[in-house]
Amino acid sequence: MKIRNLLLSVSVLTGCFSLAASSGFAELDQSDFEVLHESLKPDSTEPWRQIPWRISLLEGQRVAAAEGKPIFIWAMDGHPLGCT
Amino acid sequence: MLDRASTFSDPTIVELLKTKFVPVAIDQAYQRRQEDAEGEFYRKIALQGPRHDFEGSTTQGFYAATSSGRFLFYSNYRGPGGEEGLIGELNTALATAKEAHEVAPIADGELDRRYNPRPPKGGLVLRAHAKVLHGYDPPVDRFQKIFQEGLGRDNFWITAAEHDALVRGELPESLKLRMVRFHFVDNTRGEPPMWERSEVRALSMTLKDGVLRGAVSLSTADGKRSYDAEMLGYIETGGRKVTRMDVVVRGLFEGRGEYTKDPPPGKFPLAISFTIADGSDTADAIPPQGSRGWVEGYFE
Repeated sequence: MKIRNLLLSVSVLTGCFSLAASSGFAELDQSDFEVLHESLKPDSTEPWRQIPWRISLLEGQRVAAAEGKPIFIWAMDGHPLGCT
Repeated sequence: MLDRASTFSDPTIVELLKTKFVPVAIDQAYQRRQEDAEGEFYRKIALQGPRHDFEGSTTQGFYAATSSGRFLFYSNYRGPGGEEGLIGELNTALATAKEAHEVAPIADGELDRRYNPRPPKGGLVLRAHAKVLHGYDPPVDRFQKIFQEGLGRDNFWITAAEHDALVRGELPESLKLRMVRFHFVDNTRGEPPMWERSEVRALSMTLKDGVLRGAVSLSTADGKRSYDAEMLGYIETGGRKVTRMDVVVRGLFEGRGEYTKDPPPGKFPLAISFTIADGSDTADAIPPQGSRGWVEGYFE
């Protein structure tokens, strides 16, 4: 580990660094880019995305008061529309 | 992640929330601490439920309340029959939600700036998505399958000065470090640990003729969590603005965080993509996970 870190530190200092081998893949090319970028797009047809979520509780309160509806709160650790 | 593909994939629940409720999604780590009108309103509701240790543990779960803050129900169950149970709770809540009096709207008032960070003026917001490409053992149940297929989402905030530098064809060190420390993470199964500055073992990122190339090696001191990855991206400008910033990152990740348990065994391929957030998605307005509680540290 120490030798690896030393080599990596030298790489940082010299600004000369490629991980094509150690990342386990061939170097990323245009074709990889297009496939990956497309495959990491969220599916806009997922049912949970059809729910008109608001991210401000007070904005929700104001709409609820005006429309006479109850508020449903999806409260998580980390934002539920993000990582949790 | 779990709720998206389980609870909120149920058509009855989706329809009830769309038509009969005002649905709100929050990271309660903010609201339970906020010293402002929003924090007070959240704590008023949560205090009536089973989780109200606002300084200690989480208050996460599903809540329903009237616009006056009268508690209707709390639920945090996602096991078998969870969807049916929630439908029952929602219908019961509807039957009892009628207020005897008109409820006044609550004004924002003075915001608690610690928990209301805003994207930098003149800067950029990029959507960051992450996905484990393969390597998992077969899932033992539908819940594990949901985590294994999860797509992580966060926002990458770029300052106005960094935006200007990108327009000039430069890549500021602050942007490079923030990008890898806070966004080259496995957030596909929950809140991920970020990278300390000392855990950035190697970083090379160049921008030439609008093409961004780079490589990074990230590792904790004990080597139990690491990510060795390459990146390729395209940046276009027009009218002194960045009009396109599409980047992909691909590499081998290893390890887990406290809240990202059950990764694939050993090293596994993790890909991350970035693209400009155009504001069309509600989630475009969410602060970066890495800025949570200390936005100055995110921009450090």
